[in-house]
Amino acid sequence: MTPLLALHGLRKRFGERCLFDIESLVIRQAAAYVLTGLNGSGKSTLLRILAGLERAEVESVRFMGDALRLDPYPALLRDAVVYVHQHPVMFSTTVADNIAYGLAARRLPREQIARRVEEAMEWAGVAHLRRSKPQTLSGGEKQRIALARARVLEPRLLLLDEPTANLDGVAREQVIALIPTLTAAGSSVMMACHDRDLIALPDVQRLKLRDGRLQARQNRVRSALRTVEGKT
Amino acid sequence: MHLLEAIRDAFSLLFSGDAELWQVIWVSLKTTVSALLLATPLAVAAGYAIALHSFPGRRVTIWLVQASLALPTVLIGLLLYLMLSRQGPLGSLQWLFSQSGIVAGQVLIALPVLVAFSLAAVQAADPRIAETAVTLGASRWGVMRTVLYEVRFGVMAAVISGFGRVISEVGCAIMVGGNIAGETRTMTTAIALQTSKGEFAQGIALGIVLVAIALLVNAGLVLLQGDPRAARGAS
Repeated sequence: MTPLLALHGLRKRFGERCLFDIESLVIRQAAAYVLTGLNGSGKSTLLRILAGLERAEVESVRFMGDALRLDPYPALLRDAVVYVHQHPVMFSTTVADNIAYGLAARRLPREQIARRVEEAMEWAGVAHLRRSKPQTLSGGEKQRIALARARVLEPRLLLLDEPTANLDGVAREQVIALIPTLTAAGSSVMMACHDRDLIALPDVQRLKLRDGRLQARQNRVRSALRTVEGKT
Repeated sequence: MHLLEAIRDAFSLLFSGDAELWQVIWVSLKTTVSALLLATPLAVAAGYAIALHSFPGRRVTIWLVQASLALPTVLIGLLLYLMLSRQGPLGSLQWLFSQSGIVAGQVLIALPVLVAFSLAAVQAADPRIAETAVTLGASRWGVMRTVLYEVRFGVMAAVISGFGRVISEVGCAIMVGGNIAGETRTMTTAIALQTSKGEFAQGIALGIVLVAIALLVNAGLVLLQGDPRAARGAS
């Protein structure tokens, strides 16, 4: 199957300092990845680059086999890739309006927006909060609403920055339970995280950023990387 | 007592519906509101653009905008007078000693306040707001609308300050407007004139109206601002 996204020669520098130099990163369709690494290793920066929120040098980018550039970030990727912050920020409207935001930006018909928002709220278990104001929500609720707000757009790639950081107990378990359903729906997911339970989810492949290099920590990932490296 | 007498006369002037007095109030409100309607969209867009974009000369621009807050309105009046006078580059507009001239002066006075305050408001906004809007696929305008909505408290503060500065200024209105009765006489220019003539009742009446308008307009704006906690971008 054509990889969803394949990048080669991805480098991020801050002045003289090179944060990372990634030879190859291949994200398969409907696959889940965890990105581990020490604090400051560049996990969030990598996700933000993939989401077009930060710039980087890159030699080649292929999305579903088609070559494109990251700067300026193409509309094709903007439609397909959604990034969720470690501490998601809610717009000061209602929960339902937050989830509808991206659909409204895509100018979908009102009935379709209403239906999809309803489904997304059911999925995230936040339907009872639809008219709540964001400042009344707990951290776990905000995280689930942010996931619903991203998932409702049916993105090809979801980038989650530490989705369970600062959550514990039930709130954390609820978020972890949502992740496999995302790939089941056809999205690829890449999560920056330290959470062992997320890393241990079935069919999740592990990538590690260490000393500025990206290492595949499981054979399957390693062989996928090799395949693409062989092709190019 | 002199002051008490003047205040009593002021109230009787107000409630007797003194036509000249209400005409002055009307001119003031009309020019101020027109100037703010013209200046606000432009200034808020400029503040937003300066806050969120990096371009050569950005810091110089911010420096100049903030420095122009300190310009006395008489100086703006003088410059505008020279521009609008018959020999001036904008003389053909024939705006000198007209309400259009006053509005032009008020726009110039309001712009720096509005730009500086909206710039500060947008700059203080949580950067995740714009990023979230971007990643969810909002257009450039959509992102701007979302960010400005989230910092509406600060933007309304800009409008409140702009309103305060414009309705209370005398220098520019007197130089460019000419203080013509029934035409370009505003509340502040009338107060200056009446006081110099020793007609304190009219001056005090206008002062009372100015304060009342300030209270009313600000009440409306505070209601529009909404809950400041909600407007900070709930994180």
